[in-house]
This record gives sequence, structure tokens and C-alpha cells, in this order.
Amino acid sequence: MNPTDCSNRIAEEAGRLLTEGTVDVVIGFEKGSLPMRSTPCFVRTPQDSGKLVWNSFCSSNLSRYLKQFPGKVGIVAKGCDTRALVELIKEKQVNRESLVVIGVPCRGMIDGAGVLERCDGKRVSDVEERDDELVITGDSFRITLARGDFLHPACRVCFTGNPVLFDVLIGEKVQEQARDCYHDVSDFESRSPGDRWAYIMSEMDRCIRCYACRNACPLCYCGECFADATRPQWVGRGATGTDTLAFHVMRSMHLAGRCVECGACRAACPTKVDIRTLNRKISSDIARLFDYRPGLRIDQPAPLSSFKPDDSEEFILER
Amino acid sequence: MYYKTIKKNEVGRFLDGLLAEYTVVAPVRKNGVVGFDAIQSGEEAILDFSNTTASPKGVLMPQLETLLSARAGEEEAVEHTGMRKPVVLFGARPCDARAFMFLDRVFNDGIARDVYYGNRRDALLIVSLGCTRTRDTCFCTTTGGGPLSTQGSDAMLVEQGDGYTVHVITAGGAELMNSRGLSDAHEGVGEEIRKLALQITAEIDPPVDLSELKTSLDNSFDTAAWQTLTEKCLSCGVCTYLCPTCHCFDIADEDNIGVKVRNRIWDSCQFPGFTMQASGFNPRPTYRERHRQRIMHKFSYCDDNHHMTGCVGCGRCVLECPVNLDIRRVLGSFRGRNGG
Amino acid sequence: MTNPYMPVPMRVEKSAVETADGSIRTLTLSFARGEDGKAFSFLPGQFAELSLLGTGEAPFGIASSPEDSNLLDFTVSRVGLVTTELHNLKPGDTVGMRGSFGNGYPLEHLREKSILIVGGGFGFSTLRSFTGYALNPDIRRLYKDITVVYGARNPGLLLYRADLLEWEKRTDLRLEVTVDEADGEWTGRTGVVPAVVAGLDIDPRTTIALVCGPPGMIRFTLPALSELGLSPARVYLSLEMKMKCGIGKCGRCNIGGAYVCTDGPVFSLAELNKLPQEY
Repeated sequence: MNPTDCSNRIAEEAGRLLTEGTVDVVIGFEKGSLPMRSTPCFVRTPQDSGKLVWNSFCSSNLSRYLKQFPGKVGIVAKGCDTRALVELIKEKQVNRESLVVIGVPCRGMIDGAGVLERCDGKRVSDVEERDDELVITGDSFRITLARGDFLHPACRVCFTGNPVLFDVLIGEKVQEQARDCYHDVSDFESRSPGDRWAYIMSEMDRCIRCYACRNACPLCYCGECFADATRPQWVGRGATGTDTLAFHVMRSMHLAGRCVECGACRAACPTKVDIRTLNRKISSDIARLFDYRPGLRIDQPAPLSSFKPDDSEEFILER
Repeated sequence: MYYKTIKKNEVGRFLDGLLAEYTVVAPVRKNGVVGFDAIQSGEEAILDFSNTTASPKGVLMPQLETLLSARAGEEEAVEHTGMRKPVVLFGARPCDARAFMFLDRVFNDGIARDVYYGNRRDALLIVSLGCTRTRDTCFCTTTGGGPLSTQGSDAMLVEQGDGYTVHVITAGGAELMNSRGLSDAHEGVGEEIRKLALQITAEIDPPVDLSELKTSLDNSFDTAAWQTLTEKCLSCGVCTYLCPTCHCFDIADEDNIGVKVRNRIWDSCQFPGFTMQASGFNPRPTYRERHRQRIMHKFSYCDDNHHMTGCVGCGRCVLECPVNLDIRRVLGSFRGRNGG
Repeated sequence: MTNPYMPVPMRVEKSAVETADGSIRTLTLSFARGEDGKAFSFLPGQFAELSLLGTGEAPFGIASSPEDSNLLDFTVSRVGLVTTELHNLKPGDTVGMRGSFGNGYPLEHLREKSILIVGGGFGFSTLRSFTGYALNPDIRRLYKDITVVYGARNPGLLLYRADLLEWEKRTDLRLEVTVDEADGEWTGRTGVVPAVVAGLDIDPRTTIALVCGPPGMIRFTLPALSELGLSPARVYLSLEMKMKCGIGKCGRCNIGGAYVCTDGPVFSLAELNKLPQEY
């Protein structure tokens, strides 16, 4: 389904839910103020539902906003967003009964910044999505780009473009990519320890400790984050070397078995820190040790909050 | 005030010359991100970029700065206010240069001069890079600046042909540009630049009347619209940390092995803990109160406190906000409003 | 150039528990270096930043009267990292101090007026400084009547008992101590501070009120003062806002066109009403 038809179907659905009073608000996207940006919006009246759009620039994970809306909520969600919903439901942060999930099959979100770079900083006035192509029009230029070259890194390895949980499905399901493409992890692991350390630390060097990654993440919902605690002071607050590394390592540990790899963290980061390297490694470990992928089924308890007698015991070195 | 010229392929050598006496902080491209960093050789600096992701304010107010330290067993703390080796900030855009004028008012004026900022400031010269192109997120003219504004700069480079015209503005700028083999610019270049400025300015959206806006904002503190305008805010620190005029900080001590330190670190009015009191009461508990504070502070309170708007229209917050919460849109909804 | 972030070393002379539950202590500090003491002065209502390098820094109202500016009292409630460490200090220990900061109580507006001092709980510390100051013979004659209303949630939480006992005996001051809830041994008045204030007989045309206490107390005391006829320009509050640098730069105490640390912490109600209502 092309973006225009998607947008219209979503708007229709939202309008219907609001008119019938099934929900108090629909969380979705509207057109952003810049080219290649869609921005979260909260529609409360049927008249406003016409604002809702859907396109390949809807990279935020809207599940992150559910904690702000206690009543009955409609939410527009692509595959990874619905996986976050599954985890939030399991962790009792969200009530399934108070949600109406408008699921949208997703072929991956486009990194607008990457496109802009390709346009040499020239102003872009219009972006048209045509199947596997992006037609970019701007200040005396027009180019056609292959969609696949500009996907957000998380989308390149996604195997759940189709919503895993939904009440309404917009359009046809999409062809999924191969599951468990953890080649990026094994490639990284094949590098020498010195190399890996140098890479990670050079990424950490770019981090300014703005916490956009944490705040954009739907699974980071703690009232007080460990990074802000003073008693005890778990991690230093300066954007320096090992303090920054400690923050990212600890956050990815807290997300172990919970991170649904939506990439909202990386999309939110203003300096494009490759945060996902750590999360991907942990995800691949969890997959290997527990044969588990987060966010697929509500009836599957998370491995780190449950115990099974046949859980991996490879951490026991000697009996 | 006079003009010199330098060819593009001479800039690297020129910077190498400066490096003999100054620390040079210039735009560099690392892993696809453009930012300011101290360079070791002139060829590292790049001048073909729109603007850096983060502002150059770190040159005067580092993200982490040790104020005091004491080694284990030592009674007296060491103050880290030492005189700095002279620094040239090279390639900052006019909006960023102007932002330093605002930061000067915060740190140098008031009831006490901040010696940490002050000592760095005294050692700093700014050579800006005038804008011959703009981004669709620029709104410097609204805040009192402009694409070729010289406010805050000691010298400014303006791209012309295969080189740059160097506008030497202050005595500090003259010190940098004299006796370095730069040729004089041709007659009439000043007029050319003035004409160019008008041309470039036309690319930017017409300026908004900020004093009218301030009145409108002052009358709208309690309006319900703040809730819906700020609802998507993540309360992260992207806008404040990338902003060249944002300066809020925290003082945080650390007891590291063998040494105790008192550090100044960047803080953000968008973080919930910023105004959290020891009792647990927080006067700004949600995104609504905090984002309102950001807007009111920049476009109203700074005028009262520092007699200068707390924004230079660089547009970084617009470009980088993870959820595209556009400050221009927020301000736009208050224009012409009479409160309520 | 003086470094406004550099603390001066103070020596702990005394650390006395104020409350029955031990959560509040008053530290009495002296200057470790004579020249720092000579250079220092303060007015009632001002505050200072106390710090322990490696732990942190926090602002505290100066609780002693300025007549002796070489011995300073700070009343500290143990609520976090820094205050816990301050509670653990023993006489002879060193602690850093920066200050004095803030504007203090509006002494010039108090001359020839009657003064109504209203304090609740922990907020009474700078009011104690003012009361001690006002009772100085040279100063006392500048004011007409002085009434102090001071209350705490229960008798165990009352501060400065020695002062309260002494003030009770004085004829140049009227003291009304009250508690929200009495315990078995309490023989004094029971009732919330706003109720005590409401029952006072004052001349609103010649009285100025100085008020400091928890938000709940303030919220009900202000209407009571208004009922007594006191206009907003005659009511002064010491505002509590998280502060850090103390010199108007770090931004955290900014409220409207003011910084609590430099334009305050004492504001008249008239001034507060013009600021954004962020409380």
C-alpha cells in the first residue's frame, strides 16, 4: 500500500475510533516541519484525524508515549513498535484491553539525514516514495535513489516488519527479511579485542550524554534512571570515555532480553553514535542462550525475569 | 576594519602557521559527523559544511570541566583556573560567534565573574565563516543576527570565487591576519559583501518581531495550549546540548580513587532532575512545564535578565530534535496572541 | 581575580541534634583562616553553600544572627548525599563554605514597623537569624511590636528550643509556639500555624510579615494574612528553589525574569505574584 493510501486508511480508522468513543486519543504521526520528517501527534477529535500520515519517515517508536495516556488509547504501530507493546504488556506497564492497535506493515524506515547528505546540503522541497525508489526534488535538482541504500541501520536487519499484535491491519503484509541476521555481530566479534575497543571507544567519544536514546526507548520507563541516581552514584555524569561507556553498557544490560531492536535510540541520537553494537550483541546472546526473541508473544515470559530448569548453564565453569 | 584574501588551497597552510602559536579549534569531519575539535594540522579542517552538529560553546564551557581537585590526604584543593594557551576558534558560523556575546553576559556579568569561563574567553579569538548558503532551519535574522553578521567575530571569511575574502574586524583579528602572507582584497569588496548579505538574507524566512512575541508569551504562561504544544517532547537534552546559547550546568563532585574532584557538567532544564527538590517536590514535573521554561527563558526571561534574546537562530534544535518538536512552530502559535 | 566557586575552609565547632528523630542538626562553624572571617559578612535571610569535596555542595540558610559573623550556624536536614555527610561531621572537621548569597530580608522596609514573623518547621532557620538580629538592643528600638509565630508538625520537630525558651521570657517579643499534633507531654498550644496567624490582632497598616515554611503552610498562611488586611507588598517570603552555583549562572533557580539566588530568596508577595506561577 502506498503512503497516501496508508495515511488515508489510518485517518479513517482513527476517525471511526474517536467518533465511536472507543478511544480518547489516537497516537500517530503527522507531517513534520522539515522534508523527510514525520512527527508524533496525538489526535483527540475525529476532525483532527485527517492530520495523520504514514510514510517511510515514521521512525519514532510511539509506544514510548503510552505512559502519558492512562485512558483508552489508539496507537499506530509498525512491526517493531508492536513488539515493544508486547513487552510493555508483559511488564504490566500497559493494559492490552485499553489499547486499539492500528498495525502498519513496514518495509523499513528511511534515514532522512543520509538522503540529505547525498544531496550535498542542497535544499529538498519534495520526496516521493515509489515502490523501491525515492524521488527527491529540490533546489534545481531531482534525483532518484534506491530506497534500500538509505534504510536506518536497525531496519536493515529487521525480521518483523509486520505487526505481531494488532486490532486493525492497514494494507497487505510485507515480505519479511531473513530472521536472525546476526552477521553484524559475528563480523564484529571476529575483530581483535584492540580493534573492537578502539571502535567502541571512538563511538563513545561522540556521545554527549543527552539521553535522547534512553528517552526515545519505549522500554526505558523507569521513574528514576540509574544514570540520574546519586545514592549511590552508579555512573559519572560527564561525557568522558569510560563514564559514557559505563552508561551505555549498563543501559544495554538493563535492556537484555527486552530490547526489540526498533532502532529508535540510534534514530534519536544527534551524533549518530553506534549504540546498537552493544544491544545487538546482547540480543544475539539471548537468542543463542534462551532461544528467545523479545516482543513476539505475550505468553512468552522474558528469560531474565523467569527461570526454567533447562536454562543454559554455560556460565558455570566447573562443577 | 579591512579586507584581505586567501585562496581555498592556502587555508591549510595558514592554519599550520597559526598552530605554531595557538591552539586551533576548527570544524572536522569524523565518521560522517561534523564537529569542532582541536586540530594538529591545517589540512584536518574542513570549510565545506553547513553547520556542525554540536555548537562550539564547548571551547569556553566544556561538557565536563574540573573546577577543583584534591589528591588523597591533601587539605588544600587545587583550582583549575590556570591561564590558557591562546585559542583560535576557526570556522564558526556567524550565529555561533554571536552566541558567545550572549554567553559573555551570563558568565562575565552579574554579581560575580566566572573565572573558568572568563580565563578561557580572554584567551579566545574567533574567525568565523560567513554563510553564503543557508539551511531551511536557519532563522538568525529573527534573533538579530544575519548570514554575514560580524557580531562576535574577530575576523570573518566570506567565500568568493576560488577563495575567501577575509574581513578583519577587531585588533585581535588583525593580529591573526597580519604578517601571514595574505594579500589585500580588491577595491569595492566591502560593497560586494554587503550586496551578498542582502541576497543570502532573502533565503531566510522574514524575521519575526521578538518584542511582540515576548509580550504574547508573557501573557500566555498559563494557557492550556502548552500541553498540546509540548506533548511529544522526550525531555532529553538534545536541543539544550546542541544549542550555542544554552548554558545551564550542574556542579557534581566525584570521589575517584586517589583524588576528589568538583566538576562542572552540562545540565538541561529539560531533565526532570533539574528542579527536583530534596523533599521530592518538583515545580516542573512534566514535559509541559519544562518545555515552557525553555521557550519562556529564551524568548522572554533572557531579555529581562541579560538584555539579549537567548537564541541566535542557528536551527540546530529544529534539525536534530528526535521528534521534530519545532521551536519555530511553538513560537508561531504565540504570535498575535493576547493571552488565554 | 577571586574565584566565586572556591570555598573557604570552615571548622566545625559544634554539631547539635535539633529534633527528636535526629533528622535535623545545627552545625556551628568558625573560619579556619582569620582573613576569611574578616572579609565575610551577611544579613539575615541570606544563605551559603556548604561543601565537602568529593561529595558535593548544597545551599543552606544562615541560621545565626549577624552580630557574630565569626561563628555561623547552619541547620541541616538529612535528606540526601551531602546532608548525610554533613550530619556525620564531628567538631574539628573541615567543611567548605561559599557565600554569603542572596538578598536577605528587606531591613530597610522594616524600620518603624511592627514585624510579624511566621515560620514553619525547617523553614524557620533564617527567621531565627532575623529574630536574633532584631533583638539586639541597638536594632530592637528601630521596630515596633515583634510577634513570632512558629510551628512544627509535632513537638519533636521544633528547632532552637533554647532560643524559644529564652524568647518566651522576653517582654519585647510576643512568641506563639504551636504544633499540628501534640504528644503526651506537650503542654503548649496545639493548632496549625495559619490558624494561629488568623487569630492575631495586628495593625495591617504598620505591620510587615516575614514568612518561611513548607508549601502547605504557606498556602494557608497567605490567605490568613490577607484576611488580616496585609497587602501583598507587606508580606515577604523566602522562596525555596533548588539552587547550585549561588551566583545566577547555572540557571536552575531561574523563575521568570529572576534568579532566586541573586534576586531572592526573599521576595515580597507582590513581586512573587508578578513572576510565573510555577508553584
